[in-house]
Parts: sequence; C-alpha cells; structure tokens
Amino acid sequence: MFVTLHTNHGDIRLQLFADKAPETVANFLRYAEKNFYDNTIFHRVISNFMIQGGGFEPGMEQKPTDAPIKNEANNKLPNKRGAIAMARTQDPHSATCQFFINVNDNDALNFTAENMHGWGYCVFGEVVEGLHVVDAIRDVKTGRSGYHSDVPVEDVIIERTTVEAAAE
Amino acid sequence: MITRFISDLHLSPSRPDMTALFVTFLRSEARESDALYILGDLFDYWIGDDDQTPFHRHIIQELRQLTDSGVPCYFIAGNRDFLIGQRFAKKAGLTLLPELFIADIYGTPTLLLHGDTLCSDDIGYQRFRKVIRNPLLLGLAKRLPLKWRRGLAHKLRSGSKSNQPLSAEQLKKMDATEVAVQDAFSRYNIKRIIHGHTHQPNVHEHQLASGQIGTRIVLGDWYEQGSILEVTADTFILRSEALSSD
Repeated sequence: MFVTLHTNHGDIRLQLFADKAPETVANFLRYAEKNFYDNTIFHRVISNFMIQGGGFEPGMEQKPTDAPIKNEANNKLPNKRGAIAMARTQDPHSATCQFFINVNDNDALNFTAENMHGWGYCVFGEVVEGLHVVDAIRDVKTGRSGYHSDVPVEDVIIERTTVEAAAE
Repeated sequence: MITRFISDLHLSPSRPDMTALFVTFLRSEARESDALYILGDLFDYWIGDDDQTPFHRHIIQELRQLTDSGVPCYFIAGNRDFLIGQRFAKKAGLTLLPELFIADIYGTPTLLLHGDTLCSDDIGYQRFRKVIRNPLLLGLAKRLPLKWRRGLAHKLRSGSKSNQPLSAEQLKKMDATEVAVQDAFSRYNIKRIIHGHTHQPNVHEHQLASGQIGTRIVLGDWYEQGSILEVTADTFILRSEALSSD
C-alpha cells in the first residue's frame, strides 16, 4: 500500500506497513481516503528531529479528529530517517490524525516497554520517494504561533493525498 | 510508623481504573499511615471548588473517610489543580500547604513541592506560570462563570494536544535542573527534597556546596500503576502498585 502526500514543496511517496501496524495503517488510510489531509499543514518542524503534520489547517486551526487508536509501536519498527510514525499526547494510546516523518535516526522514540515512558511512537511506513522534499521541509524557517513553537513561518501545505493499492 | 507521599494521579472521570486504584489505596494502606502528603496534580484539571460533579464528590468523600479515620492529609497544588481552594480542603478534611513547605519527617527537615518550579530551563512555562499563579489574576479567574472556566481549561489542555514526540532538548527542558535543585537545597538549608511533576520516579543524590549529600526523591505518576513513597524514621521505599487486571 502506497500513499503520496502532494505538498507545496513536492511529492512524498510513502509505503505503508499494513502487516506490521494494521490498525495504524487502517486509521491513516481512513483519514487519507476521506480527504482529511487535504489542505493541512506540517505545523511542527524541528530540523534535526522530525517534521509533524496532518492535524492543522493553515492559520493553525486544529481539525476535529476521529477516536484515538491503540499504540502498535510494540511492532518494534525503528524511528529511523525516513520512517513515518504517529504523533500523540503523553498518553501512549492517543494517536488520531497527526503523524511525523523522522529526519534522523531517533532511537529515543522507539518502543522499549509497555509503560508510559517506554511505549514509544508507532512507525507504520517509510518514505520511498521524495526524501529530498522532506529535507526541504526540515530546513524551512520556523517560529512561535500562539501556544505552539517550531511552526513554519510560511505554510508547508499538504495539498492533497493519493492512495494506491500495492501492485503485488 | 510510615508517612506516605503521592503525586501526579491526574484523576479524571475518563480513568475509572485509576480512580478505583486510588480509592483502594485510601481505604487500605493509606489508613496505616502517620500522614499522607499529596504533592500536586491529584486531578487532571480543577477549575474551581464550585465545580461539583459526582466524580469530584466521590473523591472528596473518600478523602474525608481517610481524614475522619485520624490520618492527617496534606496537599500542595500542582500545575493542573492549583485552583483547589479552602472549600475543597475543608470538605475533604485536608490541609492545604503553601507551594514550598518544609516538613519535619521523623526528625529530618524535608522540602516538599510539586516540582514544576525546579524545571527552570523551561522559560516559556515559567513565564506562563508567573502570570497564571499571580494571586490577583487567580482571584479574578475564580470569579469567572463556571462555563467560561471550563472552556478556558479545555483550550489550555488542547494546547498540549498531540505535541509529541518531544525532541531531546524539549525533554531536557521538562526535567528539574541542577541549578534550581542546588538553589533549593542551599536556600532552605535542607538535605532532603521530595517532589513530583516530572513523571520520572527516581532517587537522586546531589553533591551539595556544603560538602554533604542531598537526597532528592522524585515521585512517579499514576498512569499505568500507582506510585507511592513510604518514609519511615530510618529509610524510605519508592514503590509502585499495579492496576488490578479486572
């Protein structure tokens, strides 16, 4: 299964691991297929860490989400450069629509144990094309916006997404 | 002869399992304590003593049973429940302590605090705290209609929604700093500090300027288990209590 994020910086093509993170992939596809991610932004960009998006519209308007999903980070897929994982609150099982793409190997985000500090962040896919687009986004200028920090000064927009079933 | 300390329970109607664990604790081992200290964030949020839901009444009633049984209970406000006031305290039978309090625990002067003020690298939060904990503003806030306060609390909480993962720098900012800890040890001339807030239960030893060793005990949160510190005249144990599986 592949999903492409068409951003104003270029396309990011993702391969999703439905076998490793079935609920997380189903959740992401459900949002993508109902065009939830169209006209959302990468609202949190930390250049040596990750780029996060999928929950806000331009102007930092937060979108209402579906119910949170369970954390499948015990699949032990690593948060390495290019891996996409679910963002969440402090509660391990609180991911909804927001995701992030690791721009470095972020070992500290990996699953270690089923407790609040050890659950980590569930990787459910990886960038197969357009890593240079991810790198272009990580380098944008950021600042504060209301309660939020690390917000790109100029909107990084996901214009639309396309979903394609795996050819195999 | 045991004094018990807890913090960061973040009780809310959405976590009946944790509420049940707390109630069990209050009805059992808490009863065997010389005193119970709650060092903040007992509730996930508290918008004023006039917000009386069945959930709040239940917790108050359980605390009351403990204090009526003769166990004194002390409370220091956390960053989530600093609007707790005398009305709540009176009903629950507990004593509100100031944000920094030196308690004599079996002869050892011990500084008790929630712990958020020790995270001095988080300049944004410290600035926010100064504003929001200003007595004048607090007095005004308490006069706002309950509905407004609910809305405000919701807005503040949603500010921290899906804000994770945190980078290494951000995580560091959320922990107590050596500077703030050293300052607390020397300013109050004590050798033991107990606090919560960081959700990183641990026992830290600090080399003090005086040449002595200061002990800092950090309480754990009640998220996937209960976390209790038991202090006796000679020693202490920082332990966790599992949630029952049913």
